[in-house]
Amino acid sequence: MNRRRVLQRRLVAAVLVLLSLGLLTLYFRESDNGFAHRVQDGALRVVTPLQEGSARAIEPFRNGWNWVADLFGAKSENKRLKEEVETLRAAVAEELTTQAENQELRALLDMRRGRIFPASVDFVPARVIARSTTAWYSTVTIDVGRDDGVREFDAVVNGQGLVGRIESVKATASQVQLLTDQQSYVDAMVVPSQAEGLAAGSVTGSVSLQYVAKSEEVKTGEFVVTSGRQGSIFVRGIPIGQVESVGAQEVELYQSITVTPAVDFRELDIVMVVRR
Amino acid sequence: MNVRPATSETATPSLPMGGELARLGALLFAALLLQTTVAPNIRILGSSPDFALIIVVCVALRRGAVVGAVFGFLTGVLVGVALLEPLGMSALVLVVVGYFAGRYAETADLSAPVAPLVGVFAATLLANILVVTLQYLLERQVPFGFWVGRVLLPSLVLNTLLAAVFYLLVRTVLKGKGVLRADQVA
Repeated sequence: MNRRRVLQRRLVAAVLVLLSLGLLTLYFRESDNGFAHRVQDGALRVVTPLQEGSARAIEPFRNGWNWVADLFGAKSENKRLKEEVETLRAAVAEELTTQAENQELRALLDMRRGRIFPASVDFVPARVIARSTTAWYSTVTIDVGRDDGVREFDAVVNGQGLVGRIESVKATASQVQLLTDQQSYVDAMVVPSQAEGLAAGSVTGSVSLQYVAKSEEVKTGEFVVTSGRQGSIFVRGIPIGQVESVGAQEVELYQSITVTPAVDFRELDIVMVVRR
Repeated sequence: MNVRPATSETATPSLPMGGELARLGALLFAALLLQTTVAPNIRILGSSPDFALIIVVCVALRRGAVVGAVFGFLTGVLVGVALLEPLGMSALVLVVVGYFAGRYAETADLSAPVAPLVGVFAATLLANILVVTLQYLLERQVPFGFWVGRVLLPSLVLNTLLAAVFYLLVRTVLKGKGVLRADQVA
């Protein structure tokens, strides 16, 4: 009798493990219209309104939590900001000495005021309804999808700058790969120095600017924007962030540049999908 | 904590029916909501608590390996759907975790107050090893130092701290005795 129970128990576990492995294999091998994706699509129609409701309900608590967390870091933040203000003052004074650089900054300011996108570009407002809970993926789910005209690879922005791109689209929701994801790469350029490279996320959530030649002169505090190079999915000039540090090892071909993202990913709530 | 010899077997509880099924359904719904809406908004030491895992382990500790594995599978599939993760990834991890947590309950003495904490601690360790292995197989960056310092240790601390509260809640929701060991049946 006991032996039968043991067999039953092991059989159930084995079947469930095989079922999970089967689902996983199917998910990666099939196209976006395949069975597992369609099941996810259908189920998401039910789950999305629930997530939307709970995301709204939890928003005040999240804000409160962030406020408390900020309070703990306020003292060290204050010291760091004071130092940063001094550095920035010097940097701004230097920037403003040349007219050309000044014009670049004005152009950037214009872009930030909303003149980045061509008139033909269409925006779809969306709300973040879920976030990845694992450190291995930097993704969020938004409440617009195929039914709203959203397509894979559409850019996602908010008032601060580039949020990421659409990674997968379902009927009523989409997954956004954030700029900080370890598999996110964005064609970028530094203004005003015009150095071009790839803004890459990482598993730690930091953003770096890769493949910038040593010959390019990049300074701390300069702005990093999308380059809009031909073939890029992003239009030119969407703010990505500011250069935080620049370094180069002698043995390396390229500079090592870290970027502070323009977007506060912790506070992400309302975003806009840029329909191409 | 007295761990029974490996040769001893247990009285497998009968399959859940009626009210028990409804209570398990409610716990499943709670796990889904907490994991998809609350967990992403809580960051302590750079990590989010894994409510789904904690609830799966607590259910398995109360109801044994079979119910734990099935509950883990369903929770994993639903979390995968809601968070648009690759289907099957969370399910695989939670099936394994649910099964072994259930086996732990069926073979060890759970009367010690730290038993649920030990269960959740071990389950978190196992789940993290499984997840990092899957990430490696999927050719994603898996820096060892980052994994240990920023993922594993914070989640071990967070999940273990939350274990006591959730175990009490699950025990209250799932009425009746927990899983019985063979010697207790006799």
